[in-house]
Amino acid sequence: MRSSLRAKVARTIAAFALALAALLPAATVHAKDLLTLRVGTVESLDSLNPFETALNVGYEVFTLNYDLLVNFGPNNEPVPGFADKWTQSPDGLSWTFHIRDGMKWSDGVPATSADVVYTYNLELEGTKNGGVVGLGYLDPYLKDSFVTSVTAPDPSTVVITSSRPTTKLTHSYIPIVPQHIWKNVTPANVADFENKVPVVGTGPYQAVESTSQYVRMVRNPNYWGKQGAADEIVLQYYPSAPDTMVAAFKNNELDYIHSPSAESFNQLKTAKNTVALASEGNGFTQLNYNTYTKGGGASTTAIQDPAFRQALGYAIDKPTLIQKVLLGYGTPGTTQVPPWEKAWHTEPNDVRTFDIAKSNQMLDAAGYPRGSDGTRVDKQGKAINLRLYVPNTTPDYAKDAQFIQGWFGQVGVKVTTQVLDEGTLVDDEALDTTKPAKGQLNYDMVIWGWVGDPDPNALLQILLTSSIGSTSDSQWSNAQYDQLYDQQNEAATDAERKTYMEQMQQIFYDQAPYDILYYDNNLDAYHTDKFAGWQNQPVVGGAPFFQDGSINYTLLTDASLATPAPSATANAAPTAAGSGGPAPTVAPAPAPTDSGSSGSPLPLIVGIIAIAILLVGFIGMTRRRRAAAAEEDE
Amino acid sequence: MTAPAVPEQSVRNERLRLRLQAIRTFARRFASRPDGVIGVIVLLVFTVLAIAPSLFVGDLQTATTATGPSLSPPTAANLLGTDELGRDILNLTIHGTRISMVIGLLATIVTIFLGALVGIISGYVGGRVDTVLMRITDFFLVLPTFVLALILAPIILDLVGANSEFFGIRVTLLVIVVVIGVTSWASTARIIRSQALSVKELAFVGRARVIGSGPGHIMWRHILPNVMNLIVANTVLVFGGSILTETTLSFIGLGDPFAPSWGQVLNAAESAGAMGLGAWWYVVPPSVCIVLVVLAFTLVGSALDDVLNPRLRVRR
Amino acid sequence: MGSRYLIRKVVGACLTIFMIVILNFVLFRMMPGSPDRILLRNPNVTADAMAAARTRWGLDKPLIPDQLVDYLEATASGDLGFSFKFHGEQVTDVLAGRLWPTVILFGAGEVLAIIFGLALGAYSGWKRGGPIDYIGNGISLILYSMPYFVIGILILGVFAVGLHWFPTSGMLTIGGGDDTFASQLLDFFGHLALPVTTVAIGLIGQYSILMRSSVIETLGEDYVTTARAKGLTSGRILRSHALPNALLPAVTLIAINLGYVIGGAITVEVVFNWPGLGTLTVTALEARDYPVLQGIFLLLSISVVLANLVADLIYGRLDPRVRS
Repeated sequence: MRSSLRAKVARTIAAFALALAALLPAATVHAKDLLTLRVGTVESLDSLNPFETALNVGYEVFTLNYDLLVNFGPNNEPVPGFADKWTQSPDGLSWTFHIRDGMKWSDGVPATSADVVYTYNLELEGTKNGGVVGLGYLDPYLKDSFVTSVTAPDPSTVVITSSRPTTKLTHSYIPIVPQHIWKNVTPANVADFENKVPVVGTGPYQAVESTSQYVRMVRNPNYWGKQGAADEIVLQYYPSAPDTMVAAFKNNELDYIHSPSAESFNQLKTAKNTVALASEGNGFTQLNYNTYTKGGGASTTAIQDPAFRQALGYAIDKPTLIQKVLLGYGTPGTTQVPPWEKAWHTEPNDVRTFDIAKSNQMLDAAGYPRGSDGTRVDKQGKAINLRLYVPNTTPDYAKDAQFIQGWFGQVGVKVTTQVLDEGTLVDDEALDTTKPAKGQLNYDMVIWGWVGDPDPNALLQILLTSSIGSTSDSQWSNAQYDQLYDQQNEAATDAERKTYMEQMQQIFYDQAPYDILYYDNNLDAYHTDKFAGWQNQPVVGGAPFFQDGSINYTLLTDASLATPAPSATANAAPTAAGSGGPAPTVAPAPAPTDSGSSGSPLPLIVGIIAIAILLVGFIGMTRRRRAAAAEEDE
Repeated sequence: MTAPAVPEQSVRNERLRLRLQAIRTFARRFASRPDGVIGVIVLLVFTVLAIAPSLFVGDLQTATTATGPSLSPPTAANLLGTDELGRDILNLTIHGTRISMVIGLLATIVTIFLGALVGIISGYVGGRVDTVLMRITDFFLVLPTFVLALILAPIILDLVGANSEFFGIRVTLLVIVVVIGVTSWASTARIIRSQALSVKELAFVGRARVIGSGPGHIMWRHILPNVMNLIVANTVLVFGGSILTETTLSFIGLGDPFAPSWGQVLNAAESAGAMGLGAWWYVVPPSVCIVLVVLAFTLVGSALDDVLNPRLRVRR
Repeated sequence: MGSRYLIRKVVGACLTIFMIVILNFVLFRMMPGSPDRILLRNPNVTADAMAAARTRWGLDKPLIPDQLVDYLEATASGDLGFSFKFHGEQVTDVLAGRLWPTVILFGAGEVLAIIFGLALGAYSGWKRGGPIDYIGNGISLILYSMPYFVIGILILGVFAVGLHWFPTSGMLTIGGGDDTFASQLLDFFGHLALPVTTVAIGLIGQYSILMRSSVIETLGEDYVTTARAKGLTSGRILRSHALPNALLPAVTLIAINLGYVIGGAITVEVVFNWPGLGTLTVTALEARDYPVLQGIFLLLSISVVLANLVADLIYGRLDPRVRS
């Protein structure tokens, strides 16, 4: 009897298959122990250290971990955070914050005014003499408030004084971090502080596990506010795989997704137990021109001429762009302050609308006649051929570029398009001020986007003359605009600030260093069968997550415990308690289309095992037959 | 004095006759390989599509010239449906043929040129030159193709300038060509070197050296013709491989949305979420084309290999 | 003779690794969009802060010799620096976290592909012209012509999105409370099933074609003819003569192809969001995370060099002709 190798292998495989089969029942007894909220996003977290994150998801995580001194409410209004009460002195130069009595950090240590002083002093010290704290994104909140000192007369009181009256302190994004954990962190080494898990904070959920694929956060037992229904929150990252994220959502592996593609989003609107929500975003997508006048690499002087840029503005059909590229999820753009900033946005006068004839006529009038081949020539007599670059981060930019190429062509302005990676594009757009401008700034137009802070300063300042060399991507310089920026920043009241800002928006629109193509919507979707109590921020027109602060996470309830049992559809339309605002684009589910798929890999595993056993058996049989034949042969 | 002219003429005729006969033999042998013949037919069809795509489906549709509805399934107006911008998938796929094939062709030329050059020199000259060249070849063999490609792409773009165009080919596509060429010439060089090594030992090469032919002449007139069979078979296989690599690179995001190849169409389908939406018509046509063309190249390549190099089967 | 062969191969491998290290340095210094300039997208960064960042990353020193020497010293001591994207994390830590998922995915995929691919190839080659050969070879050729991600997208679409049999992405279900080891293992296998199938299917065609031609070639060799003449049965010839000899080149080529395999299969990880080196490469590239990219490049190329070395040594041991 020859017990060949193959027979041995066959026996081993069979044994393995049996062992695997023995494991199967384990899956069926696996009980659901914890209620987990799973959130998917296309960004991946860059840091747990709030001062070191540049991404939306980073803000989401740190506002879950920590409280701000004053949190953002359902309509982004100031609500109690680390402080539960606050008052401003009559002269407007000092604010007194009362820290909640008996509040504890998630590790049980008392949370006091000393922690606020520590955190704010980290910022104050770090930003002295033009320095930055970490990446510097949180710096303007104290800097632009002209804060001079932060003191703690007693453990429950913080006094903040400023050199000018300010209203910005109650809209500050600086998280209050625990001094007893961060005690060795200084402005000099804050960038190296990893803020390892488990994170200690006063927020509703604390990060306990963080990998490059997800961060897991558990409920903070010491949280001072309402405890959320979810026992834990998992934020999962799907960089460069939005389609996979949507698939995971449909497969019920995720409860909430942020930024699916518009096409997938449309389909989710009709999925069962799903709410798909398009909400206004605080950002825009722009076509920016290289307006640099002192040398630089622009291919023609025409784009330095506001009249030329204005004329081109009439050759952009924004509603079509929104319809075709965003599938309707956006609004036509005008000024650099998005309408999301309700308090600050103003529509400019003389809004440009799509009108090829008018554009042609304006270009003629501005002194850019058509050459013999129909292409317009600039004032130096050179045929205009504009280079339009777009980053490769989303396919939308390249689609926009195709349309713009077509429309500009209709008014005799030739456009050459090119997709570049972000690094190259940043190099092209940023002027290295230590070197001569010649040979730099090799671009004419770029389509890219910006996302703002709750305070409009961030979006206003990228257009300042002082930003050339850092964030300016238009190299635009306008003395009046620069002066108005300082005036609005130093304004004592919001009303005064707004009047300056109105002028800034009008100047920006008329000079058109950017043509704001559209204000993109945020697209979000969530399931309503696992969690209920979904609320939007802002209540009307907002979305539950990836807004400002973490208030909506704590408002979720367990859908299986909902008291009016069959009213799942009532939860589907998110309405805020008391406000009763109209629900935004929400489509409750029609009849379920797919049925009875159990979501279990069991059938296939069983199938594979069966096939494997059959195969092994087959091979074994043929072998024996052959062996028998061989014996006869011999 | 007139006498030598006649034999010379007849020698030339004889050579021509022999060559024709060789071609005829080759054609007969090749024709007896049905897989090779099918491959050739498929490639011919795609070549015609690549040369004149506009004849069949009109000009390449862009966002502005697209007429269809967004993501429509196949209809009479759009036989293979449309993409999210309303562009006809048939139109995109046929035009993609040209871009994919041109990239594949150029990449193959780069690969084979470098490979043959290094392989022949290394094999013929031998000695220290061989050692150095083979060390470099080994080095390129172990480099992880795709990681290197991802790194090289922005560097090349930076070096040549984003706006340049070469013979009407956009620079982004050229980047892919260079990347494929740089990362895949090494295995060709190895194969050709081993053949050159054995050709070098043949008697007529020794004779050429004795009568004083220079190394350049010998390599050009004696070694190259004798490794030609191998080069031809390898070219076909490399062509198929290049198209496959191009597809993958475009899918990862190195492609050019303004000149969509098949891989670029698939990349667009992925970012639009086509598969999740059940928009199979967006994914299947370019995929089928890729499989058909690569398969055809593989079939032709292995058939050629069998016919041209009966004893020297090349494995990839 | 044996030890000389060994030494020659090892020295060659070391030389190649050194060249890789140098190339690594050169390439990454040539990349456009140097990392400090990415910071420029931040509206609040000042020139001083930029200078501080440059000093911190050693970008202010001259390229040669300072940066090169620093780099060589650090690399030799196993220090690959800090990741730009994952602030403050060591590159080695980032890589270590992503290495095992890739090793498991491609290890399992390779093993499956080798078993099924070689078996199919050997059988097809042995029964050349038979129905199994036609079908098997046809399927192999088609699979060989398919990019991994196309296979992945199709499999994902059918088995995860369509039938809901398997999870779509990731490696484990995160959270959900205390799990038994068995249920976690099952969860892992569930996540692994689709990507590993994709990798295996992508490779089977290649290996089967390779093995088939290898077997056919071996069956034509003189010693097989001799064995046949001696009256051995075909099964016996295959087992004791043809297969071992045909396996040799196949196994060697598998080792040599390792680099291509891992590189090309990056897309599988992307499609299934598998937390391995492939997704890390794409993330790092998008964030211009040079240290991490350098680490991946180094890790992949060195493992290929080592795999080749092992293959060479095995080959040298099995086939004495090579040594001379």
